[in-house]
This record gives sequence, structure tokens and C-alpha cells, in this order.
Amino acid sequence: MHLWMLLMFLGWCFTEMEAGPGAAMSTQTNGDRFKIEGRAIVPGVKTQDWVSTARVLVDGEEHVGFLRTDGSFAVNDVPSGSYVVEVVTPTYRFDPVRVDITSKGKMRYARLVNYIKTSEVIRQPYPLQIRSSGPHSYFMKRETWGWTDFLMNPMVMMMVLPLLIIVLLPKVVNTNDPEMRKEMEQSMNMLNPNPELPDVSELMTKLFSGSKGSSKAGSSSKGTRPAAKRR
Amino acid sequence: AAMAKLILLWLKCVILYNAVGAVFEDQVGKFDWRQQYVGKVRFSHFDTHVQSSKKVLVATENNVFAALNTRTGELFWRHVDKSGPEGNIDALLHHGQDAILVVGNGRLLRSWDVNVGGLNWEIVLDSGSFQKACLVGQQGTVKNVAVLKKNIISLHYLSNGHQKWIENLPESETVDYQTVYSGGNGEVYALGIVPHSHVVIIAYSTDDGEIIKQISVEAPWLSNIVASCAVIGQGVLICVDSATPSLYMCDLHLDTHDLQMTQIPLQSLGLEVAPDFQPVLVSHQPNSAHQPLSEFFLQLGPDNFLLLQLNNGQIVTLRDFKPVRNLFSILACPGIAVACSINLFSAETGRRLLDTTLIFVMDPNGGKPEKIYIQPFLKKDDSVGYRAMVQTEDHTLTFIQQPGRVMWTREEALSDVVTMEMVDLPLTGTQAELEGEFGKKADGLMSMVFKRLSSQLILLQAWIAHLWKLFYDARKPRSQVKNEVTIENLSRDEFNLQKMMVMVTASGKLFGIDSKTGSILWRHYLEDVPSNAAFKLMVQRTTAHFPHPPQCTLLIKDQDTGLTTLHVFNPIFGKKSHVNPPALPQPILQSFLLPLMDQDYAKVLLLVDDQYKVSAFPSTKNVLQQLQEMASSIFFYLVDSSQGRLSGYRLRTDLSTEQIWEVVIPMEIQRIVSVKGKRPNEHVHSQGRVMGDRSVLYKYLNPNLLAVVTESTDTHQERSFVGIILIDGVTGRIIHEAVQRKARGPVHVVHSENWVVYEYWSTKSRRNEFSVIELYEGMELYNSTVFSSLDRPHAPQVLQQSYIFPSAISTMEATLTEKGITSRHLLIGLPSGGILSLPKMFLDPRRPEIVSEQSREENLIPYAPELMIRTEWFINYNQSISRVRGIHTSPSGLESTCLVVAYGLDIYQTRVYPSKQFDVLKDDYDYMLISSVLLALFFATMISKRLAEVKLLNRAWR
Repeated sequence: MHLWMLLMFLGWCFTEMEAGPGAAMSTQTNGDRFKIEGRAIVPGVKTQDWVSTARVLVDGEEHVGFLRTDGSFAVNDVPSGSYVVEVVTPTYRFDPVRVDITSKGKMRYARLVNYIKTSEVIRQPYPLQIRSSGPHSYFMKRETWGWTDFLMNPMVMMMVLPLLIIVLLPKVVNTNDPEMRKEMEQSMNMLNPNPELPDVSELMTKLFSGSKGSSKAGSSSKGTRPAAKRR
Repeated sequence: AAMAKLILLWLKCVILYNAVGAVFEDQVGKFDWRQQYVGKVRFSHFDTHVQSSKKVLVATENNVFAALNTRTGELFWRHVDKSGPEGNIDALLHHGQDAILVVGNGRLLRSWDVNVGGLNWEIVLDSGSFQKACLVGQQGTVKNVAVLKKNIISLHYLSNGHQKWIENLPESETVDYQTVYSGGNGEVYALGIVPHSHVVIIAYSTDDGEIIKQISVEAPWLSNIVASCAVIGQGVLICVDSATPSLYMCDLHLDTHDLQMTQIPLQSLGLEVAPDFQPVLVSHQPNSAHQPLSEFFLQLGPDNFLLLQLNNGQIVTLRDFKPVRNLFSILACPGIAVACSINLFSAETGRRLLDTTLIFVMDPNGGKPEKIYIQPFLKKDDSVGYRAMVQTEDHTLTFIQQPGRVMWTREEALSDVVTMEMVDLPLTGTQAELEGEFGKKADGLMSMVFKRLSSQLILLQAWIAHLWKLFYDARKPRSQVKNEVTIENLSRDEFNLQKMMVMVTASGKLFGIDSKTGSILWRHYLEDVPSNAAFKLMVQRTTAHFPHPPQCTLLIKDQDTGLTTLHVFNPIFGKKSHVNPPALPQPILQSFLLPLMDQDYAKVLLLVDDQYKVSAFPSTKNVLQQLQEMASSIFFYLVDSSQGRLSGYRLRTDLSTEQIWEVVIPMEIQRIVSVKGKRPNEHVHSQGRVMGDRSVLYKYLNPNLLAVVTESTDTHQERSFVGIILIDGVTGRIIHEAVQRKARGPVHVVHSENWVVYEYWSTKSRRNEFSVIELYEGMELYNSTVFSSLDRPHAPQVLQQSYIFPSAISTMEATLTEKGITSRHLLIGLPSGGILSLPKMFLDPRRPEIVSEQSREENLIPYAPELMIRTEWFINYNQSISRVRGIHTSPSGLESTCLVVAYGLDIYQTRVYPSKQFDVLKDDYDYMLISSVLLALFFATMISKRLAEVKLLNRAWR
């Protein structure tokens, strides 16, 4: 975090230095041709490492600019109009910015690109400050196989949990204890107040054995049936 | 049931978003490769400011400025400017670690840091046509650069590009200022000429641009300074005149007003000019802070050079070179011999330096040497050594080290690929044997059995040989094992993934490249190709017809005259075929391959000349007979974009033609930009689409459909439009017409199956838009067995939808697979250098705005106006390709796999799997897991069996 702050500060320093000659140059326009200026910043990376692969594209390849060794750029010889300015490198991602230049070349402002509502304006400072939003992600993650993935799979959970209940419950709960048995019966009666009504699990098994439904649901109900019987 | 549906839907979503082509990180470089080029070199400098520097700077005709590694020939960095005259590099000056470029006819002055490859500064120069630039030195250091234009001269600081001074040139309307010179003494000379009258010499002060002196010298015989003059020694202007013939000399530093050119007849030096030859003078200024050398070259004939010296006002002949080229370096090429030699000579004495002869073997399939760049250096023992970079006519750069060892070659012709084809590799002997077994008709049980056994035996033999080779290679150290691909060991792999890429370049050089490794297997330079030629490459016979060799035909058409020549060659070996192509005295309008074959299995190429007569190649009796039989069903079309006319013709049995339809597009309103048919090797697997209610919507699959794109001649942004017309090429019937208002080109079109996708620029909303047109027959198919353009009474249903695309595009192509089962993707080349693989699913006019049960059932993605560019969909990840001009797709033997080659300034080859690899095991297939599970299960059964036995035994004992 500290490092990043430092870099930000450095970047600001550079732009201040640039402002001197830059401002002097921009008034010197040639006929109806103007100049788009700005600066691209990749936080935390030295400019020498990426400027040689970077280009500034204005409206596709209509106008091309190159980055200076400090990351600033100027695209010269641009007639008035509205342009999408993009800094392109194979490694880092920069968001495109729209720049409008009036026929006098004086009123120019930058805004974020919105292709759907082209009239919507979110102004950005000019000269442009284009900050990279991180490296490009070109690759898909391989589906790796791990035990946790396998165990957390809902199908496996559905199979393993009932199995655990079948195997472990009778051992944990001592069914031979008459007090315990009484308690359980009571609780079952609470759940099933009307003894004439058919048991839910019973109903399910009937339903699925009749229709031969999906095996997953069947297996889970098969798992619960012996448990119900054992009680 | 609702739950099940939900799961199904969820599954579908998962499939949908996973089916999109993407690269996994471990696949990098496995089946893809990229080659980067710079183009034909215009200027080159060796970076010599550091002794250990390995850079050579090149500025090329493709507006590229790059630094190459002299050891390997690879790029250190490369800057690709705008193509066209605005990015044209006019001059390259090199000083220390700065390289100064003048770009765009003197519009921009740029300074590059050679080490980092970053820009130091860039300034805009005043308008005016650029003449010359030079570095200006003062007191031994170079601090400024002078730029001479038609009417102004300006001086700039090297450190920041700021202008030191700018001066108008006097009398610039009459005087043609052509060159600028500085001898490092605080003065800058501008040399101008009034042709056939006098030379104007103006000296400016480096400090403030003040005119120190202005002299005009009579020279009625001179017409051009650049061509016939040079400045040598202590500021002596020397010119050569072929009429007299003599040398003229004058000292620029002399401060007299009646300066005269002293004439020295060449005869007095004992020299003679070759007839009809304009002599050329070449001088050299090794350091711009100092004066040029007083030795200079005089070229008196095509291969007659002289090294002369100016010594106290006297010209002395140092050496007479008979067969030579270029400065300070002698490139001797006796006639058309295969070996060339370079010798180094001392400039002072003209004597040949010892041990500097370098002989290298020229490629017999390449061009003649054109330019040579020499990097001399002092060896440890103070003798002179050097390296040489030779540029040949076919744009090849060869870097040679003493004694004649070729360090690397760069085939810069490949930076300008025009067209290409991918040809299947031939089968090996064993593979052909196996194929033969299945190909032939059964002839008796016994022989079949015998044949099967023998083929199995061959396979076994091949396998043992392979094992033996593996074993043999394993014993050798790793560095010695080479798996180099050569023409001899080329053979088709089991899935036909490796092919031969036949590439045709604008310079007329043909290449055969192995698609797996990217190594160039053969090259062939066609010498007499016109500079504005159009090329068309056709595969007449594939490798499938052993023992007939495969055959490709390249049609080379001069675009001015329309005259055409054919080059017939074998695409695997690159050799010119012994088949003689017909001479074509008439301009050719149209050419196409017919599905007909002659008795040697070569497809018939029909050529239509400007008299509308048809000639066939090959034109054997068999072919002509077949043509007569088929003539009634052969139709073709012609496009005349200058007249806005499309016309359809029919072939008569006597091979004359008959016009049957004509469509005229009014030239005043719109012009034809492109006409796109379907690819002939495209297969469509399914005839229709299954709808949500289980009915079938049949596709309109007209193989004769043409998509004609027009653009309005009025380019005003309110009135401009882009039109698309779908015409049946046989009947001339207009199937559909669509107009995009407030739009302009460039339009990129892909036409395939039953759809047309095109991209244009919307001037109203200032964005790029995609539009897709799909054609359907409806719920019933009129004639399901065969499609005939002449018998389709119902007009197809047309659906269209448009989308916003957030980037400009360079080129576009659709994937292609063997049987057309795999879903289609669009491959879009972007100016940023990425190649986006966009599923056709996103460009489907049936995408609903409101999601219904049925559209969900049908897997339609709800409509969204903006198409996304996701970097995960870039098939070339960070291997960006500059200036993509074309993408070639080719099916492989696997249905899931499509081979892709993108070409522009770079060449990139990869494979794409639009529906993932459904027919082979994925390369991340977990062999470990499956085998460990199998083993575990095996042991579990063993153990449980044992346990069960023990239990049974125990029970029996009880």
C-alpha cells in the first residue's frame, strides 16, 4: 500500500513537470490539426518494462501514438472530432476514453466510453490520466481435482451423510436404554400426531418404486428407510 | 419436475459458458507459434555506441522501426506506426543511443531511445515536403539535427526536439533545394538547384540561423544534385556529368562570389562511362561531427566501380573494381553464380585487407543481393573484423559472420502475405498401404485375410522401429537429439493436424511452412512478378491421389493490363511442375475451379477472358468432353465494380458463353465494395434448427448465394449508408436487400451456411456495429434432397439483428470444421493485435428480447445490445499480431478442431476448439486419477474378497 502511494506521488510529480512544455506546445496548433495528450500509468511497474510494447490507438488504427519512456504520450496531427483513445499493451489492461475536440480545438474534454448511451458524459481530467486496471487475464483455470471438491459435491454429500447416520446413530444412541426409547417414541409421536396417517418416508418409497424415478432421490430414500424401520 | 428443469437449465448455462473457446495456461506454445516480421528494410544502422551492443536498427517500408538482435535475428523491440503515407519513414539518423526518425513526409520528428525502445520525444514540423535531414555537429559533438524542406530549413536540439531556429529558404519558388550538409564546423549548408542553370549554396550559422554566405554557381549541365553530386573531404562538392563526360568540383568553403566549377574530364583520368549509363557518386561521412572522407566511389557502369581520392585538389584513382556493389564493401556476384564473396578494402589506400574475404552461398531460390550493411570492429589483435547483413531482392535479410557463416536469415517477404492455402501432407508408405486396404474392393476372403495380416505386420514393424529409435535417442545426450522437420520426413499425422502452409507474398516469393513448428520447408522466388500483381492460389490436386503429385496453381494478374500468368507447382516440395500452363494472351476477368476432374484427378480450372471466351486448364480431350456434357449446368458471374455491374453467364457446349442476367447498381449513389460467396469446402451438418416446441426451422442453404456489399458515394455522415444485397449467382434473383443508414465502411463480411455477418461504422452513434442476417426456408423444406437455384419458388424468411461492438476490427473469418457439426465461431482480428473468438451464438437474430420458456428451451441467449470482448476469448493470448490482414481457417481430421492462421505483419498459427475437444481425450486428462481409482478398486475387491472368505470360514467353524 505504501509503495503504491509512493508511486502515485511520483506520477503526479512527473505530470507537473510535463505541464510546462506541454501547455506551451498545445497552443501551437498546425492548421486544423490538434494533439491528444495524456499519460498511462501501471501502478507498481517500471515504465521501461512495458512502454516498448505499448501503443496509443485513436479510433482503431486511424491515428497512432507512442509512449515516452516516462509513460506520457501525445498523439499529433488529429483533426477535430470525437475519438476513442485506447492504450494497448499485450500485458496490461487500460480502459478506453473518449476525447472530443471542437473545430476550434480549444474545448476538449475526456469522458469514459459508453457505447450504448453515447450522449452520457462522465468527465475525466485532461490531459488524460489512464491508469491500468491490472494485467490482462487470458487464460481459463483448469478444473483441478481435489478431495475437497469431491467431498463437497452435493451428490456425494447426499450419499455419505445418510450413510453416516445409519452407521453412527445406533452406536451413539443406546437403543437398549428403556428411558431413551421412551423419549424417542414420544418425540416421534409429536412429529406424527395422527398414527393413522401414513409415514412420509413410506409414502416416498411407494411413490418412487412405482414410478422408478431418479436414482439419486431413490438412493437417498432407500438410505432413510432402514433407519425408520430399525426404530 | 420443476427441480429437474432447473438443474437442466443450470447445466445448460454451464455448458453454454464453458463451450466458449479459451486457452489454458499450460497450452501456451504447445500447438501455436508466432513469427514477427518488420518488412522490407529501407534504412539500417548498427548500434555501435557500446562495444557489446547486439542491436541493429531497421526502418522499413512497412512503417516499422525495430531493433534486431545481431546474434539471433530476433526482435528486441518493434514499433509499428500507422500504415500508409502518414506513417512513412523518410529518414533514419542514428547518434549515440538516440535514433531520429522523420515520419510522414516531414510531418513528425521522433527520437527513440535505442536501449529501452521508448520514445524520447516527438514534435510536429511545419508543413512542407521533406527533402533531407542530417545531424549537425560542432566542435566534435553532435547536438542538433537539421531538417531541410522545400521552402524552409530548421534546426532542432537532439536532447528534447525543441526548435533552435527556423529559416525560410530564399527564392524557394524557383530554386529546388535538395540536400543539406554539415561538416561539423558550425555551418549548415543547404544546396539547391535551378535545373540546367545554376547551383545555389547557402551557409547558415548553427548558432542562430543567420545566413553566412549565399553563392550561386553556374552549372548548366546539371539537373539533379542528389543523383549526381556528393560532398567529400573538406567540403568539396563534386558532381559528375555523363554528357561531357567529366567530373566537376568546387570548394564550398571558398568565400568568393564568382565561384566556378572546375572541370576534370574523365578521359584525363583514363576512365570511360558505359553507354546509356548515368554515373553515380557515393561518399561517406562516418561521423557527423567531422568531415566526410575524401575518398569516394564513382560508378561508371552497372558493375564498374572506382574508388577515387581527392588529394590536394587532385583526383587519384585508388582502385578499379570491376564486378562490385556498394560502399566500402565489395559484393562480387559473377553472373548468376550461387556463391558470393565480400572483401573488405581500406578506404585510404584501396588495398584489400588481409583475411577479410567472406564467401557465402546464395539461396538458388532467392533473389540477387541488393544492399549490404557492414559492421566492422577491431579484433583483440588489432586486425579488422566485420559482420555483414545482406539484403536481397526477395526482401531476405542474411546476417553473415566471418568466415562465411550464416548467423541467421529473416524472410521479410512474409510480412506481406497476400494469400495462402493449407495442403494436407502426403501419407507415408505404410499409411498409404493401410489406406489401400480399406480403399479397394474386396477380392476374396483369403486374400483379404492375407492383406490384413500383412498390414498388421507392417504396423508392428513400424512400431518396433519407432521404439528402437526412442531407445537409441535416449542413449544420446539431450542436446544432440534433434527432431528437425525436413521435407523428407514429412508425413501426415493421425488426426491430420499438421499441414503444409503455402503462402504467397506480395514480393512474389512463395513459401512452404510446416504448420506444426513454423519452420520454412521450401521457398521459391518468382522473379518477374509485376509490383501491382493480384494473386489467386488454387489447389488443383490434393495429396489424396497417390502416385499423382499434388498440384497448386498460382494465378498472377497484372492489375493494370489484366494480363495473367500461371505458375503451377507442387505444394509439398515447392518445385515447379512439369505441367506446362497455357499461355494467356488476353486479359482474364474471372477464374474458378470446377468440381470436375481430369483422368489424373486434377480439378479443372476455367478462365474467362475479356472476350467472354472460356479456356480450361488442364485442357485434355477428356476434360473437354466432360465440359461439353456439363456445360448446361455451369454458370458464373462477373463483377465490374467500376461500372457497378454484376452479370451472370452460362456456358454453352462449344465453350462460348451467354449472358443470362445483369444487375446494375447505380454508380451515382453507391459503389460495390465487395462480393462474397460461400467457401466451397464448407459442410453444413444440420438442415435446420430445432425450436422450443420441437418443430424444425429449415435453413435456406443456397450454395450459389452471393453477398454484395455497397457503400454510398456520398460520404456526408447524415446521408451515408451501407447496403447489402443477397443475389443468387445462377439466376440473378435478388433474395434480400438491407440498408444500414448513417453508416459507412470499411465493411467486413463473413458469409457462411445460411447467414451473413457484417460489421460497419455507425456515423450516427460513432461506434462499430455488427449485423447478422439469417435466411430460413420455413417450417417445411421445399426439396430436401438437392438444392437448385432454378427451382425454389418460395422466398426465404429473413431475420436480422444488430449489435454494438466496442472496438474497431481489422479482419474477420469464421471457423471451419471437417463435417460442420461443431458450432461456429467468428474469429475477429482487432487493431490491438488480439484475435477474438466470438461464438456465433451471440450473433443470432433469434435472440429474444423477452425470455420465454421456449427460447430458454432452445438455448437462446437473451438479447443484449453490446457484445463483450473478453480477453479470455483471445485465441492468441499475449502473442499480439500487428496489422492483421487475413485469417485463414482450415479443417483438420478431427471434427472438433479447426486450424487457424492469422497473417499481417506477423504470422500466427494455432488450433481452436469451438465446442471443446469432444472427440479426443483432453490434454489435461487425469491418467493418474483414473489409474489410481482402478487400482484402488482392484485392491479393494481383493481385500474384501479375502475378508469375506475369512468371515465365511469363521461362520462355518461356529
